Amino acid sequence: MTINSTALTAVSPGAGPSVEPVFHRARILRLPRSPQVLVGLVILAVFGVVAIIGRWIAPYSPNATDETHWVQHILVPGTGSDTGFPAQYYPLPLPPSAAHWLGTTVFAQDAWSQLLASTQATLFVGLLAAAIATVLSVLIGVSAGYLGGAADEGLSLVANVFLAIPGLPLLIVIADYVPAAGSSIVLVAAIIAVTTWAYTARTLRAQTLSLRNRDFVEAARVSGEGRSRIILVEVLPNLIPIVAASFLFTTLSAIGAYIVIAFLGLAGSPTSSPPGLWNWGEMLREGFANNAVRSGWWWWWAPPGAFIALLGTGLALLNFGIDEFINPRLRAAGLSRKAARKAGISRRPKFGMTPVVSDRPHPTPLRGASLPTGGQGEPVLEIRGLSVDYGYGDDAVHAVVDCDLTLRRGRVLGLAGESGSGKTTLALAALRLLRAPALITAGQVLFHSKPISEDGPVGTIDLLAADDDEFRAIRWSEIAVVLQSSLNALNPVITIGAQFDDLLRVHRPHLSATERWARSVELFDMVGINAERLRSYPHELSGGMRQRAMIAMAIALEPQVMILDEPTTALDVVTQREIIEELIGLGDRIGFATLFITHDLSLLVELADEIDVMYAGRLMERAPAAALFRAPRLPYTHGLLHCFPPLHGRRIAMEGIPGSPPDLRDLPTGCPFNPRCRWAMPKCRQELPRMAPLDGHAREVACWLHRDGATVPAELALPEPALAGEVGR
Amino acid sequence: MQAVLRRLGVYLLAAWVALTVSFLLPRVVPGNPVAGAVARASQSGNCNSQCVVAIEEQLGYNVHTSIWDQYLQYVGNLAHGDLGHSWSENAPVSSLILQYLPWTLGLLVIATIIAFVAGTAIGILIAWRRGSWLDWILPGATFFQAIPYFFLALVVVLIFGQTGTMLKWFPSLFGYDIYAVTPGPNLPYIESVVSHAILPAATVILGSMAGFILTMRNNMMTTLDEDFVLVAAAKGLPARSVVWYAARNALLPVVANFTIAISLLVSGQILVEIVFNYPGIGFHLFDALGKLDYSLVQGIFVVITLVVLAANLLADVVYVLIDPRARQVA
Repeated sequence: MTINSTALTAVSPGAGPSVEPVFHRARILRLPRSPQVLVGLVILAVFGVVAIIGRWIAPYSPNATDETHWVQHILVPGTGSDTGFPAQYYPLPLPPSAAHWLGTTVFAQDAWSQLLASTQATLFVGLLAAAIATVLSVLIGVSAGYLGGAADEGLSLVANVFLAIPGLPLLIVIADYVPAAGSSIVLVAAIIAVTTWAYTARTLRAQTLSLRNRDFVEAARVSGEGRSRIILVEVLPNLIPIVAASFLFTTLSAIGAYIVIAFLGLAGSPTSSPPGLWNWGEMLREGFANNAVRSGWWWWWAPPGAFIALLGTGLALLNFGIDEFINPRLRAAGLSRKAARKAGISRRPKFGMTPVVSDRPHPTPLRGASLPTGGQGEPVLEIRGLSVDYGYGDDAVHAVVDCDLTLRRGRVLGLAGESGSGKTTLALAALRLLRAPALITAGQVLFHSKPISEDGPVGTIDLLAADDDEFRAIRWSEIAVVLQSSLNALNPVITIGAQFDDLLRVHRPHLSATERWARSVELFDMVGINAERLRSYPHELSGGMRQRAMIAMAIALEPQVMILDEPTTALDVVTQREIIEELIGLGDRIGFATLFITHDLSLLVELADEIDVMYAGRLMERAPAAALFRAPRLPYTHGLLHCFPPLHGRRIAMEGIPGSPPDLRDLPTGCPFNPRCRWAMPKCRQELPRMAPLDGHAREVACWLHRDGATVPAELALPEPALAGEVGR
Repeated sequence: MQAVLRRLGVYLLAAWVALTVSFLLPRVVPGNPVAGAVARASQSGNCNSQCVVAIEEQLGYNVHTSIWDQYLQYVGNLAHGDLGHSWSENAPVSSLILQYLPWTLGLLVIATIIAFVAGTAIGILIAWRRGSWLDWILPGATFFQAIPYFFLALVVVLIFGQTGTMLKWFPSLFGYDIYAVTPGPNLPYIESVVSHAILPAATVILGSMAGFILTMRNNMMTTLDEDFVLVAAAKGLPARSVVWYAARNALLPVVANFTIAISLLVSGQILVEIVFNYPGIGFHLFDALGKLDYSLVQGIFVVITLVVLAANLLADVVYVLIDPRARQVA
């Protein structure tokens, strides 16, 4: 593994999975319309206009000496009364006036005219250098990334060598030996480009490398497209955002470099021969050399400085926008100030404590209500009317709407639905683990606690009303979570043993270090992993082993509730089966209630007691597992059942569900499923169905087909299976 | 370790490229800029005929051996620590650099540590408390990152420097008070050195901290979205531990990309030294440029490159120590 695997910090942080932009086919660069980006664009536009028309609107030539307003100031040495030469004076720089908007320099030249001329040259050199550098880095970076092998080794080495040599000293040495540099825009730009291309090349190489293995590039290769065509048509368009960001970044560095070498007197003075160009660095150099700062002639040195700072800020702001485009995670910065004030919550919600903005008053105080007995089948976690929004106000996305769930001791509750249906959001909201801009807008989460092991709270607690410390004590010790990808769920830079240790240290403070270690070993034994593995880092374990380690961690404190969010989706089928059997065994042994979240209904049928089906943030059907499997009542459930082959039992026709999961921002009126439902009736397009019990059976469904004497299609009217649990375990 | 050895190879190559560039430039650039420098050296009272010959040899002017023999001799001299002869100071370049280097390294190391630690901490805080008043640091940091060091230095001198016009709080010229104290292990000298270092160090810190803040904030925002941070919160760990989980990981790319930070810091340091007439290597580079003392320019360039490469290597070793994944596979 090479250390230099990271690129633009925003593009791929070395930690965890790389956050590559998920582009498919080329996408046009659409910048987020934030005020930052707008301000940046306006600044750049103004500079662009000034640079283009500056020459014509300048009142004087930048070199012209204004002798009419000349103020005699310093006697030129060797002239004057005693010397026999006529007295000559250096002019005094004049402060801004109508004749000279920005005053004059010590050479009686118009500062405003110099500034305009300088703006043009500075920007031109910066853009030209950035253009050369960008072409160079695209050529080298993309070829290295795409060709791979020896070409990659060689080109990467060149880039890394250039990156390691400090840029400014190299620039100084080269500019110093090339005396004509200042008089040739192209030469000075080329010299700057040579010292600034390497960083972008490295970024582009990394991106190309990852693009090369994407499906669409692979497909183009297989279909026999030529190499250069693939690079031009498939790869380059996807690199546009990064090239654009790099171009801005390089322009900024190139302008900085030009100003610096001019300030050091290496870019040729406008009065030398051959003459150099007026630029901001040159103005500052003259000012600095003639004590403009100390003498208080601010109109001479401050404007070029302010221009540099302003242009730099403009470019940086725009870069901000592009960074956010490349890495959307930077954008989710929480609620806007206005929204937060309206919602009456802090604009910076605590991490791991999703804010609750329920406008409904909490019902009767719950604390010390009836004591849970801890018996099988007794409710342990009750979610009532839970609603979750992303954002606040009119543009809020309703991710979970009015959901009720009850987990019972020793039972497995399945929660099914397509990805994006809100399953995970619902579960994480109950634990208040959702991150900004998520808000819990309504509901109650009642935890009827009767600890299985050691001390813990006893009685009913409304988790949405619990404070930090109360909640922290319940977390993991009473309610544990296993997430889908165990590689991402374990901290990559510390050993697995250390991750057990910090958990036990917080929740079992009375244990000594040796006792904590012994407990970790015992847990690893329970899930069948060699205790030696506690000393390993997560990346050293296989996927199945990591998920086992996660499960061992989840049962470490003998929780009452276990939330499993697609715990086996990332694993192969054999490992999946082993792990599920292990979970069932542990559940029986410890007696926790399980919430099993998955999109795979056929899997749930085998292990859940009851299944809830979710669609577009709402619960749509609830039934005992066998009943739901044998005789679904909801068209959506029917569809789900016919898109996964069952592991056992009769063969069924695979139909799938037409259309794609709904966009929560733009739900249809009526039943959210109606556009994809083959039995949709006019009513389904007008009115939202609510969950309602279905004729006497232990099931509920939210579907107009089962109401008001509508004709139920035969597929949804299969007879209720006689015995619940027949299909189950 | 293999990763570090690999990087060492890159740095050795980079050092060789830098040496070779500084050897070739005076020999291949058209228009022979060296002629003027040699003429100036022989006209100055500083440099006798022997000294002029030494400089001619070093820059390949008026020399009749083949360029290949010159190159071998140049590399051989470097291997012995012989960087040539400076005509303006009439002294061996290597001894001059040894004299300048402590000033630069002292200032640079202290400023880098402060900028890195403070910048990283602020970046972590901004990302953790997103939405708080700390967000106002971001536009400020962006601004400071955008203005060139020397301009920042000019403004710092103007406002705080004794050679400026406003507050006149700290000395802003030279490395110590050259009129009042004698260099040596005496208290007034040390006090003078410290007080003269305040403004240059503050400038380097101010200029470079913004980069650390912005990078760390971005990394931290990305890392906070990772599952393992969510799990840390779900585990009921105290907030402090959750931040640490994220920060430890967010720090990795910062260290991995330290090359760029070092390059910027060194450039900044050179400019700051020039504005403050600080007697380090950057100021003397500027001085030597003005005097066309190419031997000194060359020597300083080579030494700066070596220092930067050594710093890079150090960053790589640190990276391997803090990322177990880099330790394992080659």
